[in-house]
Amino acid sequence: MSAVLETNEVLKVFGGLTAVDHVTLSVQEGEIFGIIGPNGAGKTTFLNSIAGTYVPDGGQVRFLGEDTTGFSSDAMCRRGMARTFQISKPFPKMTALENVMVAATFGNKTIIKNPTALAIEKLAFVEFPMPVHTPAESLNTVQLKRLDLARALASNPRLLLLDELAAGLTTGELGDLMDIIRKIRDSGVTIIMIEHIMRVIMGLCDRLAVIYYGAKIAEGPTIEVAQDPKVAEAYLGKKYDL
Amino acid sequence: MKEEKLLKEPFLVVFKRWMMSAGGITITLAVVAAIIATIDSGPFIIVNTVVTGGMWALLSLGLSLVFGVMNIPNFAHGEFFLIGSMTAYFVFNPMRLYLNDNPSAFLSAIAPFLGIFLAFLVGALMGIIMEKLIFSPLRKRSRDQWVMNSFLLTVGISVVIINNIQLIWGANFKGIPSYWNVDPLEFLGVRLSVDRLAALLLSVITLAIFWYFMRRTQTGRAVRAVAQDETGALLVGINLNKILSLTMALSAGLAAMAGASLLFMFPAYPTAGLKPLYVAWYVVILVGLGNVSAAVIGGFIVALLQTLTSYYIGTGWEDVIPTAVIIIMLIFKPSGLFGSVVKGVHEQ
Repeated sequence: MSAVLETNEVLKVFGGLTAVDHVTLSVQEGEIFGIIGPNGAGKTTFLNSIAGTYVPDGGQVRFLGEDTTGFSSDAMCRRGMARTFQISKPFPKMTALENVMVAATFGNKTIIKNPTALAIEKLAFVEFPMPVHTPAESLNTVQLKRLDLARALASNPRLLLLDELAAGLTTGELGDLMDIIRKIRDSGVTIIMIEHIMRVIMGLCDRLAVIYYGAKIAEGPTIEVAQDPKVAEAYLGKKYDL
Repeated sequence: MKEEKLLKEPFLVVFKRWMMSAGGITITLAVVAAIIATIDSGPFIIVNTVVTGGMWALLSLGLSLVFGVMNIPNFAHGEFFLIGSMTAYFVFNPMRLYLNDNPSAFLSAIAPFLGIFLAFLVGALMGIIMEKLIFSPLRKRSRDQWVMNSFLLTVGISVVIINNIQLIWGANFKGIPSYWNVDPLEFLGVRLSVDRLAALLLSVITLAIFWYFMRRTQTGRAVRAVAQDETGALLVGINLNKILSLTMALSAGLAAMAGASLLFMFPAYPTAGLKPLYVAWYVVILVGLGNVSAAVIGGFIVALLQTLTSYYIGTGWEDVIPTAVIIIMLIFKPSGLFGSVVKGVHEQ
């Protein structure tokens, strides 16, 4: 196993606030890596700093062996890092198919001969429940999450960043989504996910990192981290019952 | 690819709703007014409307596109029109003089197209230069107060271009009598000069190509993607700088093309861009900011208003009536006739 993503002392400061405080991580190929922490701990900012939405104020990001510190998000996407946002970012006036087609055309390193076929394939992969010509603006939350996933997968990523994908879903929907995430991992995509729902974390993640006030306070196999008293105090609550 | 059936409402329901919307009412009124005026005074009303309307459509489409995609209220748009007519003049006039001495039927037929096409290219180039030299650095520095800052910048650019053109080529009118030196055609009892017919055809063909580009090509989809969600567009790997340059180039090129096609009506001189600028803004405000397809319809509606005003009331009122109509319209529908919600820069 080799590291897909390595961060070394990544730092992001907003004014006087240190949002990401020297975070060093390494994510191995083929794993599902969870990032947990209380609200406002800097998890999303950390993802933004490695995916090119923000330029880090210090430290290095190495993706697939290449130093990608400060690259823009479209460049990262073409290098094989796809992501979804906490709030879906579809192109509302386009159909679901067109949304995925755009990603298939522009997100890949090589030129895709038939973006339509690829888009249809990816929509089928995430079990998109609606006709592919439905305008994105008329989709509901669950459908939008699947569209987001299909769009991220259309650029054939090596690493997929999921930012609170499970937020706002019912228990039944959670199960379906977890199956899809497992299916994506089995197709050879490494996944980093930020999540609050412990059921999803415990059910999916191989390893976990805990971020608290911008700093990483724990990292390791899921069970170990979840039982770490420091983590329990910072985030899970002292009596979290596995 | 198999078309999957969507749940569709019956056509009549959709049609009825459309007819009751502000846009539907306006289009119906415009068509009725055009028909009545045509019966009353002759088909030249319709002919004039569609000829100028096509060009206003090209102009306002570019203005609307730049506002929709880049959030720039471009007050230098008229200068692209002027650059187009200047280019066409300097390309076409020497050819015209040469052809006077050495007649050649083939060359006289294609020379105007050459002038118009070069005008498009020069306009597009100016658009790219403007984006790379001015807006791109501003975007990197700060996005605060973007609309206001870019508005001030475009006004400044407009002043600079106007004065430079005056400095280099003087303030005199540069016009041509006509592109094609042939007899007007008779059509439905109207005498229609070949120049006007060509302008109409050019605008219709360009609009069709543009529509196809935006709807059916991947690059067009990328432009729409950037307009709808900039962060999302970056997320799927779209190179923002390329798309923004392309948008500016298209917008400026279309305006320049309109200027070149109408050179026989509007000679080129330093402040020739003002009127087209006002018209394009009338149209864009009338139909709603950033709504590209509605800008095309708006172009024809404003052209009809102008034609009717200048025939029934007097040429001097040509700008007054459309402005008055827009003021009244804004009271009732502040977001424009086809009012789509305009996205703010901060929401991007």
